[in-house]
Amino acid sequence: MIELKLSRRDFVKTATALTLLSVGGIKFGRDGHFFSKASAQEAGEGVSYVKTICIFCAVGCGIKAKVKNGKLIGIEPWTEHPINRGKLCAKGASINHTVTSEKRVKYPLVKENGKWRRISWDEALDRIAKKMMEVREKYGPDAVFFAGSAHTSNEGAYLMRKFMAFWGSNNIDHQARICHSTTVAGLGNTWGYGAMTNNFNDMRNAKAIIFFSNPAEAHPVSFFHIMEAKRRGAKLICADPRFSRTAAVSDLHLQFRPGTDIPLVWGICYEIIKNGWYDEEFIRERTYGFEKAKEIIMQYPPEVVEDITGVPAEKIRQAAFILAHNKPSTLQYAMGATQHEVGSQNIRSFAILQLLLGNAGKPGGGVNAFRGHDNVQGATDMCVLSHSLPSYYGISEKAWRHWANVWNVDYEWLLGRFGSKELMEKKGFTMSRFAVGALAGTEEFPVERAMKIDQPSSIKIIFMWGHSTPSIGDTRLVKKAFEEVELLVFVDPFLESGAALAERDDGIIVLPASTQWEQSGSVTNSGRQVQWRNKVIDPLYESKPDVWILLSLVKALDKYDPGLYEKFTINFGNKSPDEITSEEILDKEITVGSRAIGMIGQKSWRLKRQMECDYTFSPETLRAEGGPCNGEYWGLPWPCWNERHPGTPILYRNDIPVWEGGHDFRVKWGTEAPDGSSLLSGVNGHDQMKGWATNLETDYSEWLDKNMVPSGRGRARIYAWNMKDPVPVHREPIYTPRVDLIDKYPTYDEKVYGKFHYRVPILARLLQQLYKEYNIYEHFPLTWTSGRQVEHQGGGASTRNNKILAELQPEMYVEINPEDANERGIRNGDEVVVITPRGLEYGAEPSRIVVKARVTRAVPKGVVFLPFHWAGQFMGEPYLDRFPVIEDMDTKPYVYGESANTTNSPGWDPETQMQNTKSGICNVVKLGQEKELIGQLAKMKGIVDRVMQYLKENYASA
Amino acid sequence: MPLKFLMDVYNTKCIKCKGCEAICKNFNEVPDGVFRIKVVTINEGQEGQLNLPMPCLHCNDPPCLKVCPTHAIWKRQEDGVVLVNKDVCIGCGYCASACPFGAPQFRRSGAFGLDGKMDKCSFCVQPFNPKDASGKEIFREPKPRCAMVCPTQTINAGEQAELAKTLRERALEKMSAGALERLFLFF
Repeated sequence: MIELKLSRRDFVKTATALTLLSVGGIKFGRDGHFFSKASAQEAGEGVSYVKTICIFCAVGCGIKAKVKNGKLIGIEPWTEHPINRGKLCAKGASINHTVTSEKRVKYPLVKENGKWRRISWDEALDRIAKKMMEVREKYGPDAVFFAGSAHTSNEGAYLMRKFMAFWGSNNIDHQARICHSTTVAGLGNTWGYGAMTNNFNDMRNAKAIIFFSNPAEAHPVSFFHIMEAKRRGAKLICADPRFSRTAAVSDLHLQFRPGTDIPLVWGICYEIIKNGWYDEEFIRERTYGFEKAKEIIMQYPPEVVEDITGVPAEKIRQAAFILAHNKPSTLQYAMGATQHEVGSQNIRSFAILQLLLGNAGKPGGGVNAFRGHDNVQGATDMCVLSHSLPSYYGISEKAWRHWANVWNVDYEWLLGRFGSKELMEKKGFTMSRFAVGALAGTEEFPVERAMKIDQPSSIKIIFMWGHSTPSIGDTRLVKKAFEEVELLVFVDPFLESGAALAERDDGIIVLPASTQWEQSGSVTNSGRQVQWRNKVIDPLYESKPDVWILLSLVKALDKYDPGLYEKFTINFGNKSPDEITSEEILDKEITVGSRAIGMIGQKSWRLKRQMECDYTFSPETLRAEGGPCNGEYWGLPWPCWNERHPGTPILYRNDIPVWEGGHDFRVKWGTEAPDGSSLLSGVNGHDQMKGWATNLETDYSEWLDKNMVPSGRGRARIYAWNMKDPVPVHREPIYTPRVDLIDKYPTYDEKVYGKFHYRVPILARLLQQLYKEYNIYEHFPLTWTSGRQVEHQGGGASTRNNKILAELQPEMYVEINPEDANERGIRNGDEVVVITPRGLEYGAEPSRIVVKARVTRAVPKGVVFLPFHWAGQFMGEPYLDRFPVIEDMDTKPYVYGESANTTNSPGWDPETQMQNTKSGICNVVKLGQEKELIGQLAKMKGIVDRVMQYLKENYASA
Repeated sequence: MPLKFLMDVYNTKCIKCKGCEAICKNFNEVPDGVFRIKVVTINEGQEGQLNLPMPCLHCNDPPCLKVCPTHAIWKRQEDGVVLVNKDVCIGCGYCASACPFGAPQFRRSGAFGLDGKMDKCSFCVQPFNPKDASGKEIFREPKPRCAMVCPTQTINAGEQAELAKTLRERALEKMSAGALERLFLFF
């Protein structure tokens, strides 16, 4: 046996070298088994192919659109695209049916006297502008809330943020708040930038991958690279409460209870520290605060972790062994980790695990945060967020002055647009709690009414610009908010379900935006790679590109607010909305001002050149070998310091020159920690360049020549003194099935959030105590969690209106374990009610949804899973009749269902106000049996009284 | 040279992203209810879960062809693609009983629930309606889109000899990876 092994080993030793050499060449030199023949016949028929980027998730797949006589007739795989090589999932493979769907909103619409009516663009924009000015005069600029979008180009997102800055309010937010805001806080506070450190292609270099999400369903094309890693011998570990499709292809499955990510990671770290598997040199030279973290980590031995998480200690040890002995190992996560009240801390713990193993800043290592929407990274970089100006400058006076400089306007003028300087520097409402901002002072919900908000007036106008309602937690409150405000504006290619959800007879305006394939612009994928999305066809029907709509809205406002348009477009020569191009916006403003993330070298001509020279990029390194783009990395991932810089595909990699994509941990918190130790890297450490983020003149080449990073060479902080928990500790979700652990691992106290948190009061520990006192848990024995279906995207408007995807996945369901189902007499396919205590805290009936049961072993006993893409039905009542159907337009989606987030649990992250949509409690009963439970819960009036009492005591004077 | 599909579930694993199902419907304009390729799952939600995409395998000796009473099913000589002549097909369904993989599909429509014609994977050479406006048969390049878009490269398609080569390459990769691991553990 041994002999055989030896001889075999000798054979493979030689074979290895040969294979490693040949892998790259053979695999990708050929287009599968097919040799493409340019079809002369097709060209004769007027068929052309347009290279463009998918509009669904953040992998950034390239697709060739097939266009005939200006009509989109199909797609073809773009086999030379360096990221996906033609690979597509169900969504990308049927994308043309989304673009050309007959369910599109075709004309601007207004709802009057209970009826939808078609109006012209001019009328629609004028009505909005008039109402906005009216509200501005009566209530001030902060009475407008603007929900922006991660589904627009960088230019669209950037203009949204600029628009609200010029309008004079920070009440702007978008999907990133409820998607990866905790990534920005968690990773940013650890090592400087809050983004995916490596990229999709780089994952093939990993020797081990640990998943904290379900990329097989949420980001299927990433598996092109993950499977490649697996074929090369990488071990896959899946940490997921469900036996997901990712778990099915993994070597080890850690099935933990939702909301216990931190103890699970600490269990792994415990083993790594105990056995001395950590990278001592790395920790010594490049990190800060290891000893302090060690104290906390050592409180979580695998046996303790087993009790908290439910994962056998043996499996935790195995995971630690695999990660420590298969380096570089990478860590991947997505919504499952971020959407918790401890979201920022979850992400911090991931970063710390990677720092311990020395995996940060290495090919095949890093922390790979997979983002959800096609441009959510870009929209986050453009900071369509209530707490920052583009490129994460924040909203301090310094930040405003920097951007005023870029925008070519006076800081004083900008200041004058706001209610006051205080409001200008105060964080605005967020996607998670803007509903409270609209409801404060109304009758229906006594408690929310009693809630005070930290601004002069409640919200009177809500813009939903490419943002879905189903993804926002507590749908019932959002519905109420939509019904309460004076004007609702929806801008979307499809009818956003919120426009139909709101039971109101007037005050809704819907503007038809074109899809991203009908407009051009840059788009940043999860790996910070900026790609140019070419326009495929002219906008269909009366729809218009986002950039045009925004500029036209400013123009419409200009009528009532003279001089606004001139100031807004001064850098673009005050041209009309039709003439201003995405290229101009990117080149003249975005890449001039976005210095804090180094988004400077991504000029439109470089991005377009890359799209042409796709074939010159190696899929292994993503670097162009020869050709016009020689040396550039695909997508010029930021930081890209100037127009000659190739981009930085791997953040914090300090073993290559900065000119070749080298980088280092940021010096963001000074050069010295509060305890006196240095925060400069032990390897060529230096401070950041003075004024590097605000000096518009420099191209940094002097620093790059000296191999210095403009943002400094610092240390990653394992101990982050400025955070609510400097080192992550376990905190039970507010509503947890493990009531016995509540006091040992309590959630955050209200004081942690401050009196107002993003302008609203937040309840946390109080709710947890009431939960225990009133024995609410006895009525809700199941753990609630939510997630994605492979066929749908986000709020689902773009996929539920796609006939192929609607056929592939026509149903909303609740996944329930056979044991739980049998105990309740539920069979596969039965109509059931998922009922949760949501609403008890503000005196409403418990919220519930009616869905089909899907009995499956994929969820363990005691856990139920709900996909969140659905809309069209609210607490058992379909509201399809409120979707506009006029003339030749029928906007009712092909398939509809209940929104899972009607039933999510309360809980908000104290750093970013991320909502909790991943760990709650619920019960599942057969349809009709829920009344008994509602009756029992109705007796718990004491809960509301206690909440009211708390609010009176603490907010009486506010 | 016969063209074949090869589902490699040994070296790689299907994640059921349904890219194949979607691109097939999209590219071949297949109507509702007909799936020329479908991913089936064994042991869902448990250890040993296996997803397997199942199109027509274009058998060298197709049982569907043998049982077809009207000789509607035929195998192209030059590349071995099994096709159905919808003008001759009577929709008896014998092919469906003979096929071990459920490849023959029947559209659900009309008063009797069927429109009479069998449809199946055509290796992307024919769309669902194989005739153009002037009644001419449409034939395209045999380039199955499902294999081109498969992110995990589970679906492979092409000439038999080429496919064998791919498998060998992948096996070699696997062996070399295993060797590295052993070297690490024992030395």
